[in-house]
Amino acid sequence: MTEFTTIGKNKTKPDALSKVTGSCIYTEDTVLPGMLEGRILRSTRPHAEIVRIDTTKARALPGVFAVLTHDDCPKDKWTRSSMAEALPAAAFEGEAVLDQYILSEKSRYIGDWIGAVAATDVYTAEKALELIEVEYKDLPFVVNPYEARKPGAPVIHEDKTQNIAQAMDHEFNCGDVEKAFSESDYVVEFAGKSSRQKHCQLEPDVAIADWQKGGRLTMISTTQGPHLCKKAFARRVFLELKEGDIRWITPYLGGGFGGRLAFNVEPVAALLSKVTSKPVRVTTTREEDFAGWGARTEQYQTMKLGATKDGALTGIEMHIMSDSGAYYSHSGTTALVNMQHTLGLFRCPNIHGDMEIIYTNTPTSSGFRGYGNAEGAFILQQGMDMLAEKAGMDPVEFRLRNVKEVGEPSFFIPKALEHCALKECIEEGAKEIGWEEKWKGWGDKKTGRLRRGVGMSVMNHASGAGGFLLEHSNAILKMNEDGSANLTVAPSDMGQGINGALCQIAAEALGVSFEEIHIVYGDTDTSLFDIGSHACRSITVIGNAVIDAANKMKKRLYECAIKKFEAQGITVKEDDLNVLNGAVVIKSDTDNKISVAEISHDEIYNYSAEGGHLVVTGSYLPQAHSPNFQAAFCEVEVDVDTGVLKVVRYVAAHDIGKAINPQSVEGQLEGGVVQGLGFALTEDFVVDEKTGRVLSDSFATYKLPGCSEIPEIKSILIEDPTPFGPFGAKGVGEPGLVNVAPAIANALYDAVGIRINTLPITPEKILSALNTLAR
Amino acid sequence: MMSKEIATFSINGAPYEAIVEPQMLLVDVLRDNLGMTGTKRVCGAGDCGACTVLIDGKPIEACITLAVAVKGKSIETVEGMADNGNLHPLQQAFMDYGGTQCGYCTPGILMTAQAYLEENENPTRREVAEALSGNLCRCTGYVKIIDSVMAAAEEMRSKGAVK
Repeated sequence: MTEFTTIGKNKTKPDALSKVTGSCIYTEDTVLPGMLEGRILRSTRPHAEIVRIDTTKARALPGVFAVLTHDDCPKDKWTRSSMAEALPAAAFEGEAVLDQYILSEKSRYIGDWIGAVAATDVYTAEKALELIEVEYKDLPFVVNPYEARKPGAPVIHEDKTQNIAQAMDHEFNCGDVEKAFSESDYVVEFAGKSSRQKHCQLEPDVAIADWQKGGRLTMISTTQGPHLCKKAFARRVFLELKEGDIRWITPYLGGGFGGRLAFNVEPVAALLSKVTSKPVRVTTTREEDFAGWGARTEQYQTMKLGATKDGALTGIEMHIMSDSGAYYSHSGTTALVNMQHTLGLFRCPNIHGDMEIIYTNTPTSSGFRGYGNAEGAFILQQGMDMLAEKAGMDPVEFRLRNVKEVGEPSFFIPKALEHCALKECIEEGAKEIGWEEKWKGWGDKKTGRLRRGVGMSVMNHASGAGGFLLEHSNAILKMNEDGSANLTVAPSDMGQGINGALCQIAAEALGVSFEEIHIVYGDTDTSLFDIGSHACRSITVIGNAVIDAANKMKKRLYECAIKKFEAQGITVKEDDLNVLNGAVVIKSDTDNKISVAEISHDEIYNYSAEGGHLVVTGSYLPQAHSPNFQAAFCEVEVDVDTGVLKVVRYVAAHDIGKAINPQSVEGQLEGGVVQGLGFALTEDFVVDEKTGRVLSDSFATYKLPGCSEIPEIKSILIEDPTPFGPFGAKGVGEPGLVNVAPAIANALYDAVGIRINTLPITPEKILSALNTLAR
Repeated sequence: MMSKEIATFSINGAPYEAIVEPQMLLVDVLRDNLGMTGTKRVCGAGDCGACTVLIDGKPIEACITLAVAVKGKSIETVEGMADNGNLHPLQQAFMDYGGTQCGYCTPGILMTAQAYLEENENPTRREVAEALSGNLCRCTGYVKIIDSVMAAAEEMRSKGAVK
């Protein structure tokens, strides 16, 4: 076992001090001199033409600098999902993807952006919004995607003849599922629906644009992917800009969770700044956040599974109908990622998947932690239990029977699976929950008012999306005079602890202490290309780029040290050297050393001009496929009189590869599990079918899990280092959430014999199903 | 036009003046007029606790408190927790035990926890969870927040810092 000095230690994150003292500056805390405050006018109609929009009174209000409508916007359509810029063109065909303007010419949902104001302060800006007169001509609207896809439904986008935004087959369909089902010993079908979980990042969406006439555009905003935003801005939104004209800054983010893999209010801020030639900050309220745009895509899924007598999967078939809301956004990519992960998790020779994306007059969908995988797992893992029951097999045994081995195709089927510790996760998790004692077989009838049951779920998730996204990442290392190093990377930290983890990787790889690494982040002018923080990618992809940079820096340090040793009459080669505790040492005699500080200092303060500032870049493009895996187990207690389900204990055994910072890893898993609890049990995004209005538009009406409502959560970190991760690490951001809803649903079945197929699993649904069962 | 006035506040032990209008909220005055952005504006409805400050030692939500209502009172914010740069045990514990992720809920939770530990120096995990049930966190899953408060309470007991 390698002895590490920094890896595997709970180092305090570089942002922690400022976060506990209140001095951390987020986008919302940022003020530029002369800055105006911008606000957005949101439509009040689910579907309407805008017959007239009169801004005269608003413009006349003292303190108002600009009032804009669709007429003031660029007339090229674009999409809010910046992921579009990272996908190979072939995967993203079709005009559906480009369907938005900065400010809409028509209202397609209640909350659609139809105007914007910049004023001296927020109070004045809000007053100006009230003074804008809008005359609507209401159109028939449709909220339910089943209704929306029928011929004759109101068409939401005029350049289309229907509301099907996109329809695609799964790219890795194989075999013949019909034949497979006809030859299977057992076949089950299960259909259900995931819900529109809201991210509820505590920092609201904010953007500050500074775009003075004749100057570059500087954008400060809450995005998870500044380089892709920059690209999309120049390519799609403001065509007069070139990439180099844009500087995109991302301070620390008050939460991300996938909802910021896109523009939010940035285009509005840029347009207001362009028109006023002043910096403009656009802020949003919590109500706007709920009713505005961006939630997990609601997916209606139908699944069929077949198996042989001895429990081998023979075929999986899946149809997804995804409600994208009024605009396309992430709805297509989340459906594709669902099919990849759901259909590719288990060994199965016959696979068919297809998906349809449907427009409705509801708020637009977005990416959310789990990104389709959590939606699919809710259906697949219940289907797997149903199949295990038919085959009379223990769910643990049934899954172990179908888990893939290294060398078989990974979930991204063209790539071979190169590392997997899922079996160990299943075994360790089952032991921890006490599966053998607690699971008493199919059909075990519990009695009494409070009934307990156990359930499980397993998952895999990309750890970097090599093969289907432009994945390369970069890092810059620069030595300071004192021997410390500045590590420049693209993304900000949204709370997951990536900055600290990258510092730990740099310190270990370079041979200096953690405290000697200073992170520089979140600025497209200083950092190199990167596609942002998502898909559990940062730790693996950027982490490997950091190691590449550190290795290159070591070479530079060796070159310098060789000369210095020579001056002392000692002849050494690069192979003879190492960096240990901040000094270049001779391996055979580690007391013989030259400090990194001396080398770094002398390269800069070199009056013969033979030196140079020590600075290197590192890059990495993932080729291998080493996803992360997790097995989760939970025990629930169901009150059959009230329908209340309580999670008693939750165990997640995670194939982490290697924990760079175990405390951060646990924090990601625990945070994901609790978000998953909300997804599973309480978070209910409700759009009123009669009015198109979002009814869950506050923390009072949309119930997040609270501190006193969490069960005991046990995280088991299975450390089996992958050869493809930095020091063996895999990503860990998303898996915590994915297994929660299906594990609870399976435990509910074990406890009381009912299956719930729509999220969230509320007491009302449980009681109703219990009543049906009793009849 | 509603009348403006110059209001005085005692914030973290120092006197401050601000021009306030009757409709202005304490959170806005702290952040926008006085530049104390440690207090976070999140829900605007008193639902999440992120804007919690202490008024005469009691936790209140600054997003539903009118600034004029707390004129002349003693206001404590996260910026005043450290003593001359020496972190409060709660701040140190949140750093050491992973109690902060994105950090947006952290100031409000620190304020609530500080007031709670003044009342109960030896709480159970359950009691800490109940005490923080008005503060939403979307990142941590709360486990390490409770760990942090428990560790701080122990540290404060050992130092005799709790009254």
